Amino acid sequence: MNSIIETIRTDGLRQWLPLATLILLVILVGAFQPAFLEVNTLLQLASDTAVLFILATGVTFVIMLGGIDLSIQSMASLSSVAVALTLSRFGYGAFVFAFALGAVAGLLSGIAHVRLRIPSFIATLAMGGVLYSAALVTSRERSITLGDSDRAYLGWITGTVFGIPNVVVIALIVLAIAHVLQSRTRFGRYSAAIGAGEPAAYASGVKVDRQKIIAFVLSGACAALAGIVLVGRLASGSPTLASELLLPSIAAVVVGGTAITGGVGSIWRTLVGALIISVVRIGMTFLGVNIFAQNIVFGVVLVAAVAITIDRSKIPIVK
Amino acid sequence: MSVTQLHPAPRPAPTPAEALAPALALVHVDKRFPGVHALKDVSIEIRPGEVVGLVGENGAGKSTLMKILSGVYQPDSGDILLNGSKTRFVSASDAMRQGIGMVFQEQSLLTNLTVGENIYLGNEKQFSRFGIVDWRALYAAASRQLEKVQIDADPRMRAEDLDFAARQMVELAKALTLEENAPGHLVILLDEPTSVLERAEIDILFARVRALRARASFIFVSHRLDEVLELSDRIYVMKDGAVVADLVAAEANVTQLHHLMVGRSLQAEYYREPLQKPYREEVVLELEGLRHAGAYRDIDFKLHAGEILGIAGVIGSGREELTRTLAGFAPHDGGKLIAHGKSVTLRSPAEAVDIGVGYIPRERRVEGLVLFLPVAANITLGDLGTLTKHGLIDTREEKRLAQEWVQKLRIRTPGIHTLCLNLSGGNQQKVVLAKWLNAKARILILDHPTRGLDVGAKEEVYELIRAVTAEGVAVILTSDTLEETIGLSHTVLVMRDGVITHRVGAEPGHKPQQVDLIGHMV
Repeated sequence: MNSIIETIRTDGLRQWLPLATLILLVILVGAFQPAFLEVNTLLQLASDTAVLFILATGVTFVIMLGGIDLSIQSMASLSSVAVALTLSRFGYGAFVFAFALGAVAGLLSGIAHVRLRIPSFIATLAMGGVLYSAALVTSRERSITLGDSDRAYLGWITGTVFGIPNVVVIALIVLAIAHVLQSRTRFGRYSAAIGAGEPAAYASGVKVDRQKIIAFVLSGACAALAGIVLVGRLASGSPTLASELLLPSIAAVVVGGTAITGGVGSIWRTLVGALIISVVRIGMTFLGVNIFAQNIVFGVVLVAAVAITIDRSKIPIVK
Repeated sequence: MSVTQLHPAPRPAPTPAEALAPALALVHVDKRFPGVHALKDVSIEIRPGEVVGLVGENGAGKSTLMKILSGVYQPDSGDILLNGSKTRFVSASDAMRQGIGMVFQEQSLLTNLTVGENIYLGNEKQFSRFGIVDWRALYAAASRQLEKVQIDADPRMRAEDLDFAARQMVELAKALTLEENAPGHLVILLDEPTSVLERAEIDILFARVRALRARASFIFVSHRLDEVLELSDRIYVMKDGAVVADLVAAEANVTQLHHLMVGRSLQAEYYREPLQKPYREEVVLELEGLRHAGAYRDIDFKLHAGEILGIAGVIGSGREELTRTLAGFAPHDGGKLIAHGKSVTLRSPAEAVDIGVGYIPRERRVEGLVLFLPVAANITLGDLGTLTKHGLIDTREEKRLAQEWVQKLRIRTPGIHTLCLNLSGGNQQKVVLAKWLNAKARILILDHPTRGLDVGAKEEVYELIRAVTAEGVAVILTSDTLEETIGLSHTVLVMRDGVITHRVGAEPGHKPQQVDLIGHMV
C-alpha cells in the first residue's frame, strides 16, 4: 500500500520525463546541426509532425478509455484515395466525404467492439484489413496523382497564414478541440473514469458503451483528416499513403506518457510524444539511418516507453 | 464505547503436544495500512497437530493475519517463528516452500484442468524430463495425494466435474503435497472452507482434518462459530486488530465468543438508534412478486421514504441477487418493480440512476470509486449532467460542490484533487456516499457498507446513514452482520432459498433478537 503511494509521488517526476526528453533531443540535434534550430527548420518540423499528431490524437481518445485502434493507417490511406478519386467531381465535398467515411468506419469498429463484445484490437485489426482492401480495390492498386485543376482545392492545406503553414494551423485546431473535449466535457471525464476503473464508472451510471463508440468515431475521423492532409502535402492519394504510420502514432501516444492501459493521459502528452518521434526521425536522417530502418527504432522506443512509464511490478497479469 | 474485559481461560494441563516448540508462531506482529491499524501487537502460536480457530467480525484483522501467515503481506514489526526459529515469508510461494499450505474460501482450482494437473500445478518439474511431463508418474503421485484425504476421485477427471466438497478435498490434498518438500511440520490455513458446503460435506471435511492432525496443524477461520467450536482445540478471538482472547474450545460457547467478538454493550448507541426516526408514508419503490429465475421469487415489499429496510440471509438466500437487480446489474425476469408509479425494468446501472437509485457496493475499490481519479471527479461522477452547460463542465461549480461535500461529510483528504487511492477506507466510503447525495439519489442500496472499515469509521458511516434517511432518503441494506442489520433497520426482511421467510419491524426499543431471525435464515 505504501509502495503505491510512493509510485504516485515518483509519478510526479515521471510525468515531466517526456518533455525533458524532447528538450534534450532538440538540444542534442541542434548541437550537431545548428541549422536545425532555425525558424524555418522548426516550422518544417511542425509541418512534418502534423499528420502524425492528428493520427495520434484520434488514437489517444481510444487509448484513454483502455482500448486500441489499429485501423488508423488504413483509414488514413483510404481517406486519401477517396479524396483523390472524388475531388474533381465533388470539389470541397470530397473532403467532407472522406471525413464522414472515417467517422462511419470508427462507428462500425465501435459497435463491433461494444455490441458484439469483441476486444478492440481484434475489431480494429479486422476493420483495418477491410479498409485497406477497400482502398486497394477503389484505387485499382495504384497511386492517384492529382491534376492541376484538382490541386486548386488544396490551398487550405498547402498555404500559409502569417508565415505559418496551414497544416500546422490545422493540427493546432485539432489540439484545441481535443483539449476541450478531454478536459471540459462529460465525454472526456467519462473516458478517464472508464480507463481508470470501468466497473466503478458503470456502477455510477455512466453509459460506458456510448463513450466507447464516441471515442472510435473520433479516432476514425481524425485518421480520415490525417489522410486528407496527406493528400494536400503530396498532391496524390494512394492505398499505401499512410503505411508505416501506425507504429509511430501509437509510439507517440505512449512516449508522451499516456498509459497504454488507459485512464492516465492527455492530448498535451500526445503532442510532446509526436514531437519526440519527429525529432528522432530527423535526428536519424542527419545520422544517415536508412529511412526503411527507422521503424526498428520506433519499435524499440515504443517498448522502452511502455516499460518506463508503467511500473510493471504493480501489474501481476499482462495479456 | 466500552470493551468487554478479557477473561483468560484457565490453561489445561500441558499435553505432550504443548511440550514441543510451536509449529508456527507470530510474536508481537504489527501491521498498518493508510488509515487503518490492521494488526496491533498480535501474538499467536500453533502447536504441532493442533487445530486453532480464529474468529472475529469483518475488519477485526483476520484476513490481514492470514495474509501475513501466507506470505502475501509482510509485518511492519514483530517476528514469525517456524518450529521455534525466526523466519520470513517473502511471498506466497516462499511460505509454501516453508510448509504453509492454504485452502481458500474462493476455491483456487482451475476447473478446466484435471484434478492431477491441479494438485501439481507449478510443480510439474519433478515429473518432467527434458521439458516433457511424465503424465503417468504425475497421475500416480496425484492418486497417492488423494488417498491421504480419502477421496474416491480419478485424478484424470476435470475439476469442474467434481462437487464443491470434493474440490475442497482436492485443495486439501494439494496443500498436503507440501509435506514432501517442506523441512518441518506443515501448517495449513483453512479460510472459510465450509462456506460453500452442505452439512454432510462439512462433516466429511472435519473428519479428514481431524485424521490429518498427525501430518499437519491447522488454522481454521470461519464466521460459523459453532463449527469453529466443533473443530478447534483452541480459539483466538480477534477484535479491532488485536487478539482479545485465547480460549480452550471445549470450555467455550457461542454466546461467549460472540460477546468477545463484538465486545460492546451499548449497541443501541453504536447504531445511533436514538436518531432512528419513523419513516414517511410516501412509497418510493414497490416490488410485486419480483422474480429472477434461479435466484429469488415472489418478492413483495414497499420501501418508504426515510426507511431503512434490512435484508438478512445467508449466501444463496437470493438477497445478493435481489440487491444487484435493484442496482441495475441483473434485470428481473418476472413480477413488477414499480418506481414513481411506473413499472420499470432496470437493464443497466444508468437506468437505475435515472429512477433515483444510488448503489454503494461491497467492492468499494472496484465498483464504488475510480481510485485513480481525484476526490472531486468521483463525487461528481454520478451527476455530471447538471454541471454541464453548453456541453462544457462548469469546473468552478464542480470544485465548489466537491468542497461542500468534503466539509459536510467530514471527508478527511488533503484536498479535492487528491486521488481516492490515497484515502482510508472510511473516507473512501464517504466519497461514494457523497457521489450519490450529490446526484440526489432517493434510494440508496447499501451492499455491505461497512466492510473493511474500522470501528470509528463505521460509526461515522452509521451517523451519515441516519442523517440522510432523516431527510427522506430510503435505504436498502445488506450487511455482514445481523447485528448491524437489526441495529440500523426500520424493517427487517429475512430471505432463505430465494423467498422472504420473515418480516419484522425494528423500532428502537423493540428490535428483534438475532436468534429469532437466524431461525428463519437456515
